[in-house]
Amino acid sequence: MAEVILRNVCKLFGKVPVVRDFSLNIADGEFLVLVGPSGCGKSTTLRLVAGLESLSSGEIYIGDRLVNDIHPRDRDIAMVFQNYALYPQMTVYDNMAFSLKMRKVPKREIDQAIRRTSELLRIDQLLDRKPGQLSGGQRQRVALGRSIIRNPHVFLFDEPLSNLDAKLRIAMRAELLELHQRLMTTAIYVTHDQLEAMTMGDRIVVMNEGVIQQVDHPETVYDHPVNLFVAGFIGSPSMNFLDCRILQNGDSLCAATDGLRLKIPAGKQARVQSYVGRDAVLGIRPEHIGLASDPARCDCLAGFTAVVRVVESAGSEKIVHARVEDHSLVARLDPHTRLKTGETVEFAVRMETVHIFDKVTGQTLM
Amino acid sequence: MDNMAPSKKAGFQKERERFGYAMVSPSMVFLIAVTTLPLVSLLAMSFFRIDLTSPMDNGWAGVENYTEIIKDHRFWHSMRLTAVYTTVTVVLQVMIGLALAMAFFRGFRGQGAMRVSVLLPMILAPVVVGLSWRTLILTPEYGILDYLSILMGFGSKPWLVHPSWALVSVILIHTWQWTPFAFLVFLASLNAMPLEPLEAALLDTRNSWQRFRFVILPMIRPAVYIVIIIRTMVALRAFAAIFSATGGGPGTATEILNLYAYRVSFNSLNLGYGAALGTLLLLLTVGISMVFFRMRKAN
Ligand SMILES: Nc1ncnc2c1ncn2[C@@H]1O[C@H](COP(=O)(O)OP(=O)(O)OP(=O)(O)O)[C@@H](O)[C@H]1O
Ligand SMILES: [Mg+2]
Repeated sequence: MAEVILRNVCKLFGKVPVVRDFSLNIADGEFLVLVGPSGCGKSTTLRLVAGLESLSSGEIYIGDRLVNDIHPRDRDIAMVFQNYALYPQMTVYDNMAFSLKMRKVPKREIDQAIRRTSELLRIDQLLDRKPGQLSGGQRQRVALGRSIIRNPHVFLFDEPLSNLDAKLRIAMRAELLELHQRLMTTAIYVTHDQLEAMTMGDRIVVMNEGVIQQVDHPETVYDHPVNLFVAGFIGSPSMNFLDCRILQNGDSLCAATDGLRLKIPAGKQARVQSYVGRDAVLGIRPEHIGLASDPARCDCLAGFTAVVRVVESAGSEKIVHARVEDHSLVARLDPHTRLKTGETVEFAVRMETVHIFDKVTGQTLM
Repeated sequence: MDNMAPSKKAGFQKERERFGYAMVSPSMVFLIAVTTLPLVSLLAMSFFRIDLTSPMDNGWAGVENYTEIIKDHRFWHSMRLTAVYTTVTVVLQVMIGLALAMAFFRGFRGQGAMRVSVLLPMILAPVVVGLSWRTLILTPEYGILDYLSILMGFGSKPWLVHPSWALVSVILIHTWQWTPFAFLVFLASLNAMPLEPLEAALLDTRNSWQRFRFVILPMIRPAVYIVIIIRTMVALRAFAAIFSATGGGPGTATEILNLYAYRVSFNSLNLGYGAALGTLLLLLTVGISMVFFRMRKAN
């Protein structure tokens, strides 16, 4: 068990900065998820912690030990790689036993550990097989088993579930979490799948272009994204963005764009007061757009008329793509909603949940 | 109508096949002329007595050449030399080639130029290699190696004139020339390894040796087998470099089977006996390679 601290970590490949001024404290026993689009430096960050890449500057602590110059094998970490990285010529048993053998752990102890771990992961039937003879999910478990068995202080996961099919992925997600509850080992988990991040993390770190955007609990990141990038990245279907202008309308404010004029709730007006007359970006989550005909549960609704373009039925919900003038909007509606393509419909937005971003900096205003 | 299409296609394919045969036939004829025919005539000659120094007695000899070989001390001596020469050169090539490949695999400064120089010996003709070692490298006092030996305090060595040293020398020459081949195969094989298991091994093993021994080596094992097989085949029938460096001498100190067969045939002009020796060498080479291939399959 150990906490992991990254302090002003930078990594350059040649002259290209890939991780920039990354500072983060990961508590002992925490399950931290690193999420961001492809190429944003997640793997690199993880590899820096593992010691597979050298730091350009900054400090990394595992436990109370500065590990900058400590060899990966002495960092007390276990890593689960994206492509499993099993040793192809060894059986499952040998794969799991390998690190312990190299550490001269007595044979009998190794054997017991393998029995225990393989039962836990339900791979005890596979011990004699080679990795080439396993399915993706089984390999995944073996890779997991191989790292668990070492009893490391920190787990590093690099998109361990990305090669699995959707169903298995969800099952493994739950298993991983269960495992973490049991072992309570500090874990850093990399994924580019925001849904995975939302469901798994105690806290999630949203990265973009090597820079931390936001670190917080999943709900907080979802409800209060700090900037345009986070708002757009987290959530599926992603948030609707509309370029708008903040206008004074009597003693209230509204966000206006051609065809739309949405009133900003009184409680939040103070935050955008200084933006009156300036351009901003309006962000509306699809689930915050409803039909005007629905019984409204909130006082602050802003309505608009739109033409339905596409209706996707997803069983538990209906995703509706609609058009207002030049803007297209996505709404997440009740599955029983009946809408036809081409129909003109009255929509309503719950304005107290709407976000407004600075158009230039992308920072959240409200 | 339904079975028209396949038969049409078959006709088209047949035509392509015929064209293919027509294209390769000149080289096939050439190959048969320079490999198969000599082989057949070698085999045939080995059953005759063809001694150009006393042509009167020449004629059918049956297996006489072979029964004589079994009693021939010089033959057994050449077999022992062949075994030593082959084993030592192959082991050295594999070990040095692997070590070099590992060094290049990890990468170091000035790698590009070094790689070229490592590969150079392989592109030289063996005769040239033998001659240049004999003159530039092993000449007493002036040869590079002898000079270095003197500098390092080991003194001048009778590289080519003392029987034991001569064997050492021809082994050195062969190893020097052909290690690049092993190196090349190993390097390619190392570079083709999946990277992630290597990184996993970085976390799992306690030192570089363990990582090499238990992770890297098993992954490139097929390449090691291939190199052993190919290099054994070549070492068994080594000729030109030894011929130009020592000519099999001093005496018979470096006379491996191939050289013995040559000397019997073209120095003593006993062509029948030489052909029998050559046939044995062929059988030996084929036999050993078959054993190796079996072993490789079993793995
Ligand atoms: N060894 C390297 N040399 C040069 N550039 C590299 C190297 N490794 C990664 N990069 C670059 O660093 C950036 C971040 O890479 P990284 O692998 O950390 O991304 P990632 O966030 O893990 O993406 P993904 O989700 O696709 O795995 C990429 O632009 C990549 O091209
Ligand atoms: Mg990655």
